[in-house]
Amino acid sequence: MAASVSSACKPSMARIPVNTTSFQKRTKNKLLSIPGTRLSVQNGQLLVSTGVTSLDYLLGGGLAVGTVLLIEEDRYDSYSRMILKYFLAEGVVCRHELFLAAVQDHPNDIFQELPDPILDDVAMHKPVDQPRLSCEPQDSIDAMKIAWRYQNLPKVQNALASTSRFGHYYDVSKTMEPEIRQAAKCHHFYLPEHPSHSSATHSSMLGSYSALLKSIEEVIRRDGFSVATTMTKSRNILRIGLHSLGSPLWDDDLCCQDNPKHSHALTTFLYGLRALMRSSLSVAVVTVPSHLIQSKTLMGSITRLCDNAIALESFKGSERETSPLYKDYHGLLHVRQVPYLNCLASQLPDHKDLAFKLKRKQFTIERLHLPPDLSETVSRVSRGELAGAGAMASACGSGNKHLDF
Amino acid sequence: MLTSFCILSIMLNDLLQGTDAGGFFIIQDSCRYSARRLLWSFIKAALNREEVVHVLSFEVSEDELKNGLKGSPIERLRFHDAYSDPLGWSGRGAFTVDRFCAESVTALVEPSSPGRRAVLVIDSLSWILRHSGPAAVCRAVRQLRNDGSVVIVGLLHRDLHPRGTVGSLCRSAASVVAVDAGPRGAEAKVTKRLKSGKVLQDEEVFSVDDDLTVVGRSEPSRVRPREPEMDPTAHLTFNLRLSDLEREAKEKLALPFVFTKEKKAALLHTGSGRIVYEPDANDDYDQEDPDDDLDV
Repeated sequence: MAASVSSACKPSMARIPVNTTSFQKRTKNKLLSIPGTRLSVQNGQLLVSTGVTSLDYLLGGGLAVGTVLLIEEDRYDSYSRMILKYFLAEGVVCRHELFLAAVQDHPNDIFQELPDPILDDVAMHKPVDQPRLSCEPQDSIDAMKIAWRYQNLPKVQNALASTSRFGHYYDVSKTMEPEIRQAAKCHHFYLPEHPSHSSATHSSMLGSYSALLKSIEEVIRRDGFSVATTMTKSRNILRIGLHSLGSPLWDDDLCCQDNPKHSHALTTFLYGLRALMRSSLSVAVVTVPSHLIQSKTLMGSITRLCDNAIALESFKGSERETSPLYKDYHGLLHVRQVPYLNCLASQLPDHKDLAFKLKRKQFTIERLHLPPDLSETVSRVSRGELAGAGAMASACGSGNKHLDF
Repeated sequence: MLTSFCILSIMLNDLLQGTDAGGFFIIQDSCRYSARRLLWSFIKAALNREEVVHVLSFEVSEDELKNGLKGSPIERLRFHDAYSDPLGWSGRGAFTVDRFCAESVTALVEPSSPGRRAVLVIDSLSWILRHSGPAAVCRAVRQLRNDGSVVIVGLLHRDLHPRGTVGSLCRSAASVVAVDAGPRGAEAKVTKRLKSGKVLQDEEVFSVDDDLTVVGRSEPSRVRPREPEMDPTAHLTFNLRLSDLEREAKEKLALPFVFTKEKKAALLHTGSGRIVYEPDANDDYDQEDPDDDLDV
């Protein structure tokens, strides 16, 4: 009896396949689903990744589509160029379109130096150690004798990262494969190839900047990135990288003179660029050699005209390179401005002193933790003399140690 | 240039020998120390390497240069006179300031050494910067660098220009040698930017001899051996050290809150609700001997 019941039940169960329901949620597909983007949890903006996950965290989850990120270059332009390459490489991996404008090197040279993406799905950033649930003897090295109640607490998490992964990791020691690179559509702007127009249309903008702006506008209009075009086909994001704006190779004397003649050329250009960005599905990263610009007010207005602004300060060449406080890092990162888009107040990062380090597989931005005062010389010598203490210690260190009572 | 006494730092030596061939490198000097003799030592090294050297001179006459380079093979030196009439006032000058652009420089340099790379020494870049502006200089340099036909060595007087100009010109340079007078003599700071973005730096104290050899002086502080670490527990009026017996006794001491492994584990993951009780010494209550002082 039981067998017949079960055999009677079986075919009826087999007849019901999965997903026969014809119910479908009736929502209009208003949300754009573009690969490589996601919605911000804070203000609902569409975000793209900059290619550096720590930088995404600092900017509030990512770079909002329609905004401009200003990077103030470090002295030798090594790390700002690296971030620009990360940004473009992220665009290649997410299949966005790219636009690169450069004056010093040909854009093709920069494209060939893009870092290789690490495409397996293993998260490179190890999550915080979960509290170990079994006190095995393997923790005998870590086991604390007196403070054993704290031994399972997580260590201070220095690196900035959010819990969900957004963005990819890149291996700096290798360059991207040509096949991957050529799959992405890239537009170039190399100033010597564009005949300089006499600036008839925009009197306050230089010919080079107006040519660049026209070129960007043409790409946006022609390839359908403008928000005004009808959403018939699938949309994509345009990533714009502008390298070294303001340097004399753009015919701008902003960096060369203390009182530049063309003081409003770059600011006019940035104003036009931001207007273009707001009305299109694109994102711009601009690098400016700010250490050469002598006028602080001008730098301030350039910063205000861009939405996000960070400044890189590398330790190379300065006396901080040998300072023991900074020995693990390559430079400091200052967040100058974070925008408030469609909200009243912006989400500033709560840590003001940040330092960055370029490792082979990751560009990390960490909170700067000063090491504890353990040595006896440090407790007597003030912080400012710390750098000199290393040099002087061998000369008068023995004397100091005797006097340190 | 190796001498018998001192060895120059590797980077300055490389630049002198021309082994690292960047496209453009700048020697910066100031009013406290003129780097002209260092520039002449570069010229001499290049001549000794059998390269054709073109000198575009705005500040030094031909006779003075040839006097300074006595003793080197001057046949390969091509002098372009921009000293007699740099601004073209009398119309006699061979080269004027506003003629400095990539095409004219290539035209100047090309005929003497077709196919091979020539070395162009500009003395000094400050003249061109003052009259043509940094944009023109940077553009010309960029184009010449992209062509790859000329190696340019330029002398720049950094006191004559605003900091931004000097900085933006040095950004286009592959290597920069900044020379200044220091307490120990002339100091040269060499900064080299590699294509990969890495920056190498070095500092060196040097001097230029009469025959234009560059002699480096090794820093005395660098080669001094490190002093042995002082033991802080020595020379004290009380004893801070532990003998072995004392160390053993210290290890054996029972700390007040040391529990067994199970109790530690139970305390570490709270929430299980188990009560783990370990009897203490005080629980051992003897009814007949409550004060624990009978010596039975």
